[in-house]
This record gives sequence, structure tokens and C-alpha cells, in this order.
Amino acid sequence: MTLGTAKIDKKGTRFGNTALSATQARRLTLAGLALPSILLMVAINGYPILFAAFQSMYDGSLLNWGEFVGFGNYAEVFRDPAFWRAVRFTVIFTMAGVLGSWAVGFGLALLMLKPFPGRALFRVLLLLPWIVPIVVSSMSWNWLLATPYSLLPQAVEAIGLGRVMFLADPTMAMITVCVFKVWISYPFMLMIMGGALQAIDKNVMEAAEVDGCSGLRRLRHMILPMTARTTYIAWILMVFFSVNDFPTIYLLTGGGPLSSTTTLIVMAYRTVFQDFLPGYGVAISFIVTIALVALSIFLLRQIRKSSLQ
Amino acid sequence: MTPTNPKKRPDWARTILLLIISTVLLSPLCAVFWLSLRPRLGTDIAGPTFTNFVYIFRNTEVLLWLSNSLGVSLIAAVCSLIVAAPAGYVLSRARGRAVNAFSLTIFAVQSLPVIVFIIPLFVMFAQVSLVDSLAGVAIIYVATSISVACWMMAAYFDSIPKDLEEAAWIDGCSVFTTFVRIVLRNSLPGILSVMIFSFLLAWNDYLIALVFLRSDSQFTLPIGLQTFFQQNQTDWGPVMACAVIMMLPPILVFATLNRFFSVGGVGGSLAGR
Repeated sequence: MTLGTAKIDKKGTRFGNTALSATQARRLTLAGLALPSILLMVAINGYPILFAAFQSMYDGSLLNWGEFVGFGNYAEVFRDPAFWRAVRFTVIFTMAGVLGSWAVGFGLALLMLKPFPGRALFRVLLLLPWIVPIVVSSMSWNWLLATPYSLLPQAVEAIGLGRVMFLADPTMAMITVCVFKVWISYPFMLMIMGGALQAIDKNVMEAAEVDGCSGLRRLRHMILPMTARTTYIAWILMVFFSVNDFPTIYLLTGGGPLSSTTTLIVMAYRTVFQDFLPGYGVAISFIVTIALVALSIFLLRQIRKSSLQ
Repeated sequence: MTPTNPKKRPDWARTILLLIISTVLLSPLCAVFWLSLRPRLGTDIAGPTFTNFVYIFRNTEVLLWLSNSLGVSLIAAVCSLIVAAPAGYVLSRARGRAVNAFSLTIFAVQSLPVIVFIIPLFVMFAQVSLVDSLAGVAIIYVATSISVACWMMAAYFDSIPKDLEEAAWIDGCSVFTTFVRIVLRNSLPGILSVMIFSFLLAWNDYLIALVFLRSDSQFTLPIGLQTFFQQNQTDWGPVMACAVIMMLPPILVFATLNRFFSVGGVGGSLAGR
């Protein structure tokens, strides 16, 4: 009964002195409900991050901290040419992942906007590259193009384009990894942009069509502006996904050949678990985190600006 | 065909175009199915067979990895529901400065790269012998799914009218009883979405299992499959049979539940790709 009064109290009707303790009981219960998640986040996310912040200032191994070097690891990271190569490929990979998957996903969403036989089936089928576990898709791509005797290199040679080393040549490997990323991520864009397209008022589009507005002009002056907000949000999410992506690259090339496809996250992983330099690796991952936080604040501001107009 | 045309004929040209596009885009996955059904080298069976599947269950540890994967993913799904449902209720119903801070924390946790907390967690877990243990991996899966799971639950609770709870309060139910008896009981679709989301997140994970699982007997399917693949690079049949088993659960989930749940919500489980 007391809790009932608490609720009524909130609505503005006073029910005597019991109301206060009832509100407190309600608050306490709600705090208790939130507690497990808070504990989990503190134990698995919060505390390790603090731990990592300290570890990035030491030069030891995984289980032995070694000596305190202050910001020495960070200074060393910024002097390391391998770091700047990884930054370069991270930017390439992210740009390709975001714009490529958006272009493919948005294109497919536009194609599937009008009803046609089998639309429901294609909607599910085209999501497959995203649904299938990454270990499986990387394996299928490996089968497709890893060795000179695989299907794709043989086909390319048969057309007369010569021998292309999809994973063995550094430049080709960079292109292949980016294409693989686009292939994995386009369904995400297809879902998000498909939703945005369906939210557009059909009458407006039909009115424009009747008025003789061509398809391209409708796309540029109506569809793109009307879906701009969704596009920005999808881009931001994909920037995060791409920068933090580890398995896509690691399973296809392992970061090679000659570290050409090493992004910052792959570099951090290899530094810690293959070179056994946790301080250095953690420093790299912190730099990535800080860059991402800064970038997301900047991008969120851009969204606010664009939605104000 | 103009929109003013009253008789709309089915747009078969578009179907054919999409058929071609889908064939190209899905060819790597078709290859997985095709290779898994191809007879093994050195046998004289013609046409599709299931010998690869028989082989991997008899001669490899795939069955063990499969049960590890299923176990970890199910535990992660249940635990993540237990943690996320109450937290989602708080996000949905409570207001105030503390709740704002709570929701901001959940959002921040989501945007951190997994690698940042994996390294110190490895050291922490080594001290309490949770490295190379499925329990340790399950805990991390719950933690990685928690923020999205909380938001999904909160979004679902938002759709449940508050009148029901208020009636229960007036009848003398406590907040906790109301939450369990009234709110949770009416949230089956939300609960299922969260569980599927967490299940798939655990099922598809590679990085966490790669770092934390060290011995064959503890491998989950992705790590087992990858090891198996590295040892049998040329013998594609068994490897691809294993891959087919690995990709069946997510495909089945999407094929059957696509209509009932928003694909966007469940699809969030694969976020990070």
C-alpha cells in the first residue's frame, strides 16, 4: 500500500508522512535492479581500463609489469614508423568500409524499394554475409582467392589479366581486405538505409515523378536529403565498427603481407600477444580509443548542426 | 511503368537483376555448402554426400567444440538477460541525475574497443584461473552484450503501458514483484530478442575466444574451426562441413524469426563488423 502512495505522491497528491519512506523504498529497489549491471561494467570494463592506463606506463611483459616509463610508451609509439603505416591503413580501411558498404547497401535498398516478386526472400538472402560467422566467411574467401590455384586468380588469368596475387601482394592485399570488409558490412547499411527509405512519404515521391522529375534528380534533391540524418548515423556507427574491427583483417591476412594490412587494432593485438609488449600495445589501443572519442564528439556535433537546419 | 498505371504487372526484370546480384554476392557462401557436400579426395563416390560431416564427427573434436560453443552461448544469453532486464527497467522507468549518469555509462562502455579491456582482463583472469576457461569467456560475453541488451530491454519496456504497474502498486505489490510478475511476464518478445542477440554475439565471437581459450578441449567452434582449417588447408571438404555447422544457427534464427522481431534489433548482435 505504501508504494501505491509513493506513486500518487509523485503525481502531486500528498498522502501524509509515509510517502517519503515509500519513495525511498522505490528508489532503493530501482538501484538494486541496476546493481548487477553496474557491478559487471565496473569489473569487466571499468577496472581493466584503469589497470590498462597504468600498464601503458610500464615496459614489462604480460605478467611482470617491469619498470615505470611514464609516457615513454606513448612517445615511442608516435616515433614508430610502423604505427604511422598502421594509421594510414586504418584510415584507408575505414573510409573504404564506410563509403563502400554504404554505396552498395544504399544501392540495393533503392533497388528493392518498389515491390517485385521475391522481394521478401531477397531481403533476407542479402543479409547473409553479415549473419554468417566471420570465421566462416573468411574461410570461404580464402578458398576463393588465397592461392594462385584458387578460383578467382585462375579466372582472372583465364580472362588474360595475368597473374594477380590477391593476398600475397601488399597493394592487392589492401584492396582485397577492403572489398572483404565492404562485403561483410553492406547488409548493415542495407537494413538501416532500407528503413530510412521506407519512412519517406510515398506521395511526395509520386508527386515528383508525375511532375517529371527524373530519377537522378529525385535521388539528389529528395532522397539523399531526406535520408541524410540516417546516413550520418550509419556512417558514424560504421566508423566505429571499422576502426575496432579485428577478425575481418586478422582472419584473412593476419595483418600481412609485410604488415601492409595491419590496422591499429591488429597492431595492438600483435604487440601484446605475439611480441609480448603489453605496455606498448595498450598505449596503441588507448590512442585509438581517445581518437575515436574525439571523432565521435565531433561527428555528433555535425549531426546536431545538420538537424538544426 | 508509371505510378498512374492502375494495372501493375509484377516487375520480373527487377527480380532477375537482383538474382544476378545475389548470385555474385553470395557465391563465396554457396561455395561453402557446395564444398561441404563434395566427396572426399581419394574416394570414388560421385555426387553430393554427407561423408564430410560423418568424418568430422567421428575423427575430429568438432562435437566437443560444438557443445562448448552451445554451452557458452546459452549461458551468456541467460546471464545477459538476468543482468540486462532489471537494468533496462531502470532505464525505462526511473528518472533523475543518477539514471542519466547510468545511461551515459552504458553508452560509453559500448563504444570502447574490446581490445582495450581484453589485455588487462587477461592478466586479471590469469590470477583467478579464468584464462582457458569457458566460464571466464562467458563472463566477458555477458559484459560485451550488456549495453545493447540493456537498451533493447528498455526500448521494449517503454512499449508496455505503465497503467498495469500502477494498478499492481495500488494493490500493494512491491516494485520488485511488479517488475517480475507484471512487466517481465508481458515482455516475451523483448526477452527473446535479447537472448538471441546475446547468443549470436557469443556464437560469432572470435577475438575473445582467441585470446582466452588456449587448450583444444576448451575451444569454441570458431577457434576450433580456425585451428582445424590451418591444419587441413588443402582438404576443404571437412573444413567446410564444419563451417556449415557453424553458420546454421544464425541463419536459422534469422530465417525463422525475421518476421517476428525487428531484424534491426537482433541484427545488432553482429554490430562491430
